[in-house]
Amino acid sequence: MTELSRAQIRELMGQVLKNQGKVLPDDDGADLREVGFRSLDFSELALRVEDETGEELNFDAPGLRRIATVGDVLDFLVELQRQ
Amino acid sequence: MSSAPAHPATSHPAGADNRIVVGGTPTTWRDLPELTLPAAPVAVLAHSARYALAAARHHAVHGGELLLSTPGRVDEAMRAELRDAGFTVTDLGADAAGVDTAAAVAPADFRPVEHDRLWLLTSGSTGRPKRVGHTLASLTTVRGEQSARTWLCPYAPGTYAWWQVVTLSLTQPGQDLVVVEPEQLDDWPALAAAYGVDAASGTPTFWRRILHRDPAGLARVPLRQLTLGGEPVDQPILDRLREVFPTARISWIYASSEVGAAIVVHDGRAGFPAEWLDRATPGRPTLGVRDGELVITSPHHAVGLAGPVHTGDRAQLVGDRVLITGRLHSDEINVGGSKVSAGGVRDVLTAHPRVAWARVTGRRVPLLGHLVVAEVVLTAAAPAPRPDSPTVAAPTEPTAVPDEAGLVRWCADRLPEYAVPRRIRVLTEIPVKETLKSDV
Repeated sequence: MTELSRAQIRELMGQVLKNQGKVLPDDDGADLREVGFRSLDFSELALRVEDETGEELNFDAPGLRRIATVGDVLDFLVELQRQ
Repeated sequence: MSSAPAHPATSHPAGADNRIVVGGTPTTWRDLPELTLPAAPVAVLAHSARYALAAARHHAVHGGELLLSTPGRVDEAMRAELRDAGFTVTDLGADAAGVDTAAAVAPADFRPVEHDRLWLLTSGSTGRPKRVGHTLASLTTVRGEQSARTWLCPYAPGTYAWWQVVTLSLTQPGQDLVVVEPEQLDDWPALAAAYGVDAASGTPTFWRRILHRDPAGLARVPLRQLTLGGEPVDQPILDRLREVFPTARISWIYASSEVGAAIVVHDGRAGFPAEWLDRATPGRPTLGVRDGELVITSPHHAVGLAGPVHTGDRAQLVGDRVLITGRLHSDEINVGGSKVSAGGVRDVLTAHPRVAWARVTGRRVPLLGHLVVAEVVLTAAAPAPRPDSPTVAAPTEPTAVPDEAGLVRWCADRLPEYAVPRRIRVLTEIPVKETLKSDV
């Protein structure tokens, strides 16, 4: 299985936001609400990761957590690829 | 908590003094604004939860014929349809002044009032929403003495699920209500914890979203009753909620505006016991599976729907359980609780002058359940304009070969945000197996 790096996922995230006319800030601590990264965007990013890796992500596997910042999204998807 | 009633002489429902928190402010049913509505039949489009609740209370006190919905669910064509059906259409609370400036548009023609009739607009999974007739009594499916509870109400005003929570609080003393406004949907646990919400009902998507977004905040809400409904309920979501609330009662409910609340399961397992099938008990729904479809004969049915109702939902017998797994006809894509017609999205795509063929499907994703995705085949060259197509127009429309982003923009200009395909794959040939049937 091809695993995407955090930087590669960040690039995809930037692409998702760009398609919505938004910009991904450099700061991983940026709040998702301020960035305008919403549930639809998160779901699209997950699809893009799946398309790149050719593997379906298992969202039932990880433990519960709060996803509030850009960094949270990246960490979550990096970890999810290893489940 | 209460203040002097606006109309002391009127008969208020039994739950009139229950606390309701709406717009972040506690009040009671009794203390909601007193409305002066046009003569029935009236279609109320409530611009805020507060006025939706006031309209419900108004109906409970004064009766009349009422259709209650939100402006977002009723477009101009539906407004015209309602006027043609004899409704005065009223926008309520459109500005800060609320009822005093309510705009009313008179019906096309007058007709006799169906006293005590409540109309719901169904979500219209594959086409236009349709009107389904009920009464306050037929919407009140929880009867008998209940433990005192403070319920969360996250539903859109006027939907069947909204009426379920509202009628419970209106008719039963001790059933308080905390209303979640649309903009609070991602952050409702703080509100719920602040007002001691101990019972909440929502779709599996609603619960999944918050489990991912703020599980710690969710765990701080002192829930003793969790209810799921409105979508297929699978075992993983029940199990995950059980991890957070090990001692709460976790129930799932099968309900619809057509057959009412028909199935309620409290044992923490997906599906319902197979032994419930074809069991006729007076006053209770009879459940059946016919050719893989759930069929229900319900005492809570809407007007004109007596007898067995084919629900369109797929039911499968798995071991000792009957699992309800989705819609039989897969035109419907559920994006975070919003229903999208795959055929409708396909029509928008194929209206693009450079799209020869399109297939639209739902793809499984976290948080929202599904996202709309598409495959298209482009034409070899730009065809002549198609003036007969309402969604294609203008000589200024693009005729250059579009890329994925261009097609997404095309859709975004013509569809609600949730219905826009987020991935569009360009194929070089129309798949052979799809030449006979090109939809999902």
